[in-house]
Formats: sequence, C-alpha cells, structure tokens
Amino acid sequence: MRAFALRLMRSPEGMAGLILLILLAAMALCAPLVYPGDPMAIAGRPMLAPFSDPAFPLGTDRLGRNVVAGLMHGARASLLVGISAALMALIAGSIVGTVAGFAGGLVEDILMRIVDAFQVVPGFLLALAFVSVTGASLPVVVVAIALGAWTGPARLVRAEVLSIRERDFVAAARTMGMHPAEIAFREILPNALPPVLALASVIVASAVLIEAALSFLGLGDPNIVTWGSMIAEGRNLLRSAPYLSIAPGLGLVATVLGVYLFGEGVAEALARRRGRA
Amino acid sequence: MFGYSLSRRTLMRGTALVAGGLVLPRLALADDALRGGRLVVAADSEPRSLNPAIVASNGVFFIASKIVEPLAEAAFGSESGLAPRLATSWEGAEDGLSVTFKLREGVTWHDGKPFTADDVAFSALNVWKPLQNLGRVVFANLETVDTPDAHTAVFRFSRPMPIQLIRNAMPVVTSVLPKHLYEGTDISANPANHAPVGTGPFRFAEHKPGEYYRLVRNESYWGGDQPKLDEVVYRVLPDRAAAASALEAEEIQLAAFSQVPLVDLDRISKVPGLKVVTEGYEALTYQLVVEINHRNPILAKLAVRQAIAHAIDKRFVVDTVFLGYAASSTGPVPKNAPEFYNPQVTAHDFDIDRANALLDEAGYPRGEGGKRFSLRLLPAPFFSETRQFGDYLRQALAAVGIDVQIVNNDTPAHLKAVYTDHAFDLTVGSPVFRGDPAISTTILVQSGIPDGVPFSNQGGYANAELDAIIEEASETVDPEARTALYNDFQTMVTEELPLINVAEWGFTSVVRDNVVNVGNNPRWVVSNWADTGLAR
Repeated sequence: MRAFALRLMRSPEGMAGLILLILLAAMALCAPLVYPGDPMAIAGRPMLAPFSDPAFPLGTDRLGRNVVAGLMHGARASLLVGISAALMALIAGSIVGTVAGFAGGLVEDILMRIVDAFQVVPGFLLALAFVSVTGASLPVVVVAIALGAWTGPARLVRAEVLSIRERDFVAAARTMGMHPAEIAFREILPNALPPVLALASVIVASAVLIEAALSFLGLGDPNIVTWGSMIAEGRNLLRSAPYLSIAPGLGLVATVLGVYLFGEGVAEALARRRGRA
Repeated sequence: MFGYSLSRRTLMRGTALVAGGLVLPRLALADDALRGGRLVVAADSEPRSLNPAIVASNGVFFIASKIVEPLAEAAFGSESGLAPRLATSWEGAEDGLSVTFKLREGVTWHDGKPFTADDVAFSALNVWKPLQNLGRVVFANLETVDTPDAHTAVFRFSRPMPIQLIRNAMPVVTSVLPKHLYEGTDISANPANHAPVGTGPFRFAEHKPGEYYRLVRNESYWGGDQPKLDEVVYRVLPDRAAAASALEAEEIQLAAFSQVPLVDLDRISKVPGLKVVTEGYEALTYQLVVEINHRNPILAKLAVRQAIAHAIDKRFVVDTVFLGYAASSTGPVPKNAPEFYNPQVTAHDFDIDRANALLDEAGYPRGEGGKRFSLRLLPAPFFSETRQFGDYLRQALAAVGIDVQIVNNDTPAHLKAVYTDHAFDLTVGSPVFRGDPAISTTILVQSGIPDGVPFSNQGGYANAELDAIIEEASETVDPEARTALYNDFQTMVTEELPLINVAEWGFTSVVRDNVVNVGNNPRWVVSNWADTGLAR
C-alpha cells in the first residue's frame, strides 16, 4: 500500500489530481462552517459584482444570494452525487459481472443481455427519463446516474473474472470445498477489482457532469444548491453578469479535471505494479 | 439577344417612369410617408390553430388578430374604452335581456364575399358560445341572435346580461368568422383554422412550420388607406436569447411579449436603434398570485394566511424579480383596471414581527431548528419570474419559521398536480386579468368548480357570501351597482385571503426606432396593427 502511494506520488498527474480533489473536498467540508445556514438565503443586495464587497467575494446573484456560499455548498452536492453514483454503479456492476463471469451458461447470457439493453440507451437520456418520471431529489438523481453507469464495470469485471476463474488458486479453493459464492466474492472479485477502480474516475467525472446537466435543465433537486442550477440561473444573465455562470463552471472543470488526473495517476501506478509483478 | 435586352430595359425604364408619375403624387396627397415595407416580428411559439374565435388566447391573437377582427377593440381615451371595428355601435336593453349591435357596412371578407349580420349570428351561436374558452362563460345565457337587416344583430339572452361585461369582453371574445366557409362543416377541424380568412387589414399568406408565418396587405381593407405595411412576417424564434441577438443583428424589428428577458432590457435599451416599449399591454395584465390549498388544516386558518401575506416583501419582488417592470398588488383586481379597482382594501404590509406573532398565536410555535411546519410549494413553470418568485417565497417563509420544499414540474405535470390532484400546499400562479372580473379573477375564488379545470379555484376554498356576490354581479345590468358589488368582492378577498395577490405585470416589447405607432392601444400586441408603419 505504501509502495502504491509512493508510486502515485511520483506521477505528476496523479499528484495534481489529488491536490485538486483535496482542495475541493476541503471546500465541501468547510462549507457549513464558513457559511452556516441555507446557502440559498437572500444575503445581500442583488447583482453585486465580484470583488466589490468583501462580504461577498464573488458577488451575489439575481436574488441577492451569496455566490461563494453557493459555490462551496454546491461542491458538496456535486462530490456527493459523483461519489455515491460511482460507488453504486461499481457495486452493482461488480456483483453482476462476477455472477455472470463465474456462473457462465444461461445466467451469464441473461445478465449480459440485460447489460447490453442498458448500454444501448445513452446514460444521460436514461437519467433524464428516470428523474422526470420519479420526481427530482438527491437520492433519485444518484440512482438515475448509476442506472446508466453500472454496465461498464459489469463488463470489465466479467472479463477479468473469466480469466481469473481458470487460475490455479481458484481450482485449489474448489478442491478445498469452498462454497461457489464464497469463491466468487472472496477469492475472485478482489483480484478482478483493480482495473475497475481505474474506471471509477471516469464514472465519477461523468456523474458530476450528468448531475450538473440535470440541474441545468431544471431536473435537479430544487431545494439544494448545485453548480448546474447556478449555471442555469446565470445563463439568462450571461451578457450582463457572466461571473454567475463562470464561477460554478470553473468548479465543474476543476472537479472533472481533478478526478480525471487522479484516475490517470492511479491507473499508471497500478500498471507499474503489474508490469513489475 | 443584345437588342432584345436593351429594348426590354428601355421598356422597363419607361414603365417605371410612368408608374412613378402616377404613384408619387398620390402618396404626397395621402400625406403618408409610412406606406409600405415589411415588419419582421419574433414569434416564440407556433400555435396549432390560428382561430381566435375558438381559442381566445394571446398566443393566437398575436398572429390571428391581424387577419380576423373582433366587433370592437380596446382603445385609450375613449369613453367606453373601445374603438369600433366590425360593429359601429352597441346598446344594451334596460332589462339586460338583449344587446343590439350595428355592424359596419361595405366590409368584405378576404375571399371577396360581403360581411353581414349572418356572419355575426353564426359566429356567436355556433362558435363563441359552444366552443370558445371564454365565450362559454360570457355567452352562456345567449339564446338567439336576430338579424332584422344585413347590418344589425340583436343578441337575446335568457337572463339579464350586464352590458359592462359585454363591453369589456368584446375585444377578446367576438372574433367574427365567415359563415360561408364554416357553415355545415366540423368547425374545430375546418382548414380555415390554419389558414384563416377574415376581414382584417392583413391576409394570411403562408406558414412554413419551424420558420415563419407571412401575412400580406389586404388591398380592400375597409379602413381607408390602412394598413400601412405591405407584409408582416413572424419569424419563429423559440429561444429567448435568440430574439435579443436577432434584434441587434437587424434580422427582426420587433420582439413582443417580453421575448427579450427582463435582465437583458437594461443592456438592450442602450443599443442604438432599439427601444423598450412597455405600452400596449395595459389590458393584458398578469397577476402574480400565491394560490393556497385550503384542504391543508394549517392553511385553512386565516391567521396563517395573514402571516404568509405579511412575510412577503412586495417591493423586493417588484424590484428584484421583475427589475421594476411590475407593480405591487393590493388585491384581486389590478390597478390598471380603473373601472373596478378598489384601493380601500385590507393591506398586508411586509412585517416579519407581525407574521411571527400571528403564527405563534395560531398555535404553531417554532420547534426544532426554528421551524414551525413544512409546506410544499409548486411554482408555475410558465415564466422565469414565477419560478424565481418561488425561490424568493421559500426564503421569505423560512424567515418566519415555515419550511418550504419546492417541487418543480413541467407544464402538464404542474397543471395535473395543482388543478386535478390538488397535491400542493402553496403554488405560484400567473392568471391574466381580462378587463372584467367576471371572466378572470373571480374563477380563482368561486366554489363549486369541478376538479381539473385549469387556472380556477382548486384550493378547496368555499365562502357562501363571496359566491353570492359573484353570482349577483354576473346578472346585475346597472354598471354602477355591478362595480359596487366587485368593490365588495375585493374587500372580502383581501380580508379572507383565499389567495394572496403579490404583484401585477405587463409585458415589454423591444422594437427598432423606425417602427411607428407601437403600443398605442391597451391590447396593441394582439390588435390589428393597421396603423403600424415603418418610417424611412
């Protein structure tokens, strides 16, 4: 583990990503301390320009809400949705992939056709349809995004499982009389996971973007601040107050970039370990 | 070849000289430099039907009012508030059971057939009364229309009909259709609903879906040298941001109905050659209203409703949400309906302390986290202002300890949730005041309306006294007595707060400097534009 961390530190992308993510996480965690209370509360004069009032470093929006407070609280929503949607997709995908790869036969066929069925529908459209039918709230948005993202991990895990299940240690476990489920989830799955973890960064990044896009279209949870909804509100004022859209937009860029660079670093570190082994 | 083209050119030049010699003096005599030209207008939607006699809505009027005319149009400064169109005079009988219209002579339809009282009688009995959204209310008691001669129509009612209501409703509900094209057909499926034939200053020329509507000058219009324009083209621009850019690029000359968002007005008013016009919407006042579900036992208490009214800072709403392009409301009738407006009503001024005290007294002390109770708020998705006011209301009520959860829906889901399923506690609505309380604001508080009727009282509010006033006013012929009843109506609504009126606003137009006679009547955008011209 320490060796892994060292390898990660040696990759410049990985470090840059990590620092960005730590900064964003700090922003999200500090939000309720720095700006307690509702970030959507009307705090001051509407439409203050950035850097004109020390109380509102990035100005205020059309109703007089503090842009910095929105930005920091918005980071919570974005990271929360990104990470929980990715976790959900990874867990669901790993289970389906392991079962399909290990069981084989009819079970595999059925499961993989279901995966195909989900994969032909673009993830964003699936999320859009799901949210507009069930109504917008944070858990619904998480499920909606995971719904379009679990197929990638499922296919990857299955492929890994197919190769691992022929290895000697699996045969040994079988002869020891272990239960097939135990073999699948305790022996095979942990060995199949590393490449899937590299996929996680892609899923987190796309989940953050999908959440922003849903909020932009007015399908996010209207009772919390998200970057997408901030951009959507700022869009009408793009000509007169571009900072209202640019600030949350930069937040999105930083998040996606950080997650992506970090993922690159992790993948590189893993590859080096594999190469050596 | 050369010889031919030379001779043709010479011929053309000769013709032009002759034509110029004929036309120029006539123009000079008419003292009219505005004649001619094409006005290009932004249209944000494409109405499915262009028949204003069936669908009396602003979206349809915007285009169709230039083609199909009503009996009279709203006007500034005239005693009755009207300017004659297809009718030249109207008079109600003492008992209110009949109204006599004298019709304009020498008017022809766009296909050349003469316009007569039969067209009016047919439209009234076969279209306005049975099919039209508003006509159903206004003409509910219409029994027959007598036509003693070709230019007189006598409307006979089974119950007394206030002439005041007829006057106020005429510009909206009396678009006359040609009997010879509609008689014996399925009126709602008639092809003329998509290519209307009327008596108006412009004829319908073509509609290219997704691109434009084109109207051309009616050469045989009854209004003398009107219309001034040769063509009116409605360019379909569904994206609101596109309208502002198209104006700046001089692709269009007029964007009406606040197509240019309020937040852009300040910037665009400084663009040379463009101006912002707020006139021409006086009779199309929208009201920003908090509708309340009285089925919720908390909201059924008057003190709670009063507290909510006291928690709303109307001035902030006008200044911030509407950027000053609105006025705060005092009651259910807007100020620019002076005939009915009653300023002597209960006011609920912005007063957080009073709101808190009322809620404490009503038995809802602040609990954990300072919250008293929780409500669902459904802001109507029709305007960005209604949504924004929803965001504001959430904050305003949080300040007095009421937790508000906003539920956003698209239009069909919103209509179903509020007006059919009643799955709301508060909703932000934007009803239109149509010049007379009988066809606009009363429906929001009257009881006994079946479930599913949109933009009506679906909050379960029932007040027998208020219902009685509304009922009596609908049959009171004397205008003064009727106005007095509506004054009582306003007093009672502001006392009992079946709903909370917050603000009232009209739209804005952004127009190029050279377009003249813009906004010169209270329904200008949806009137016939016969005198609108382009200065050169």
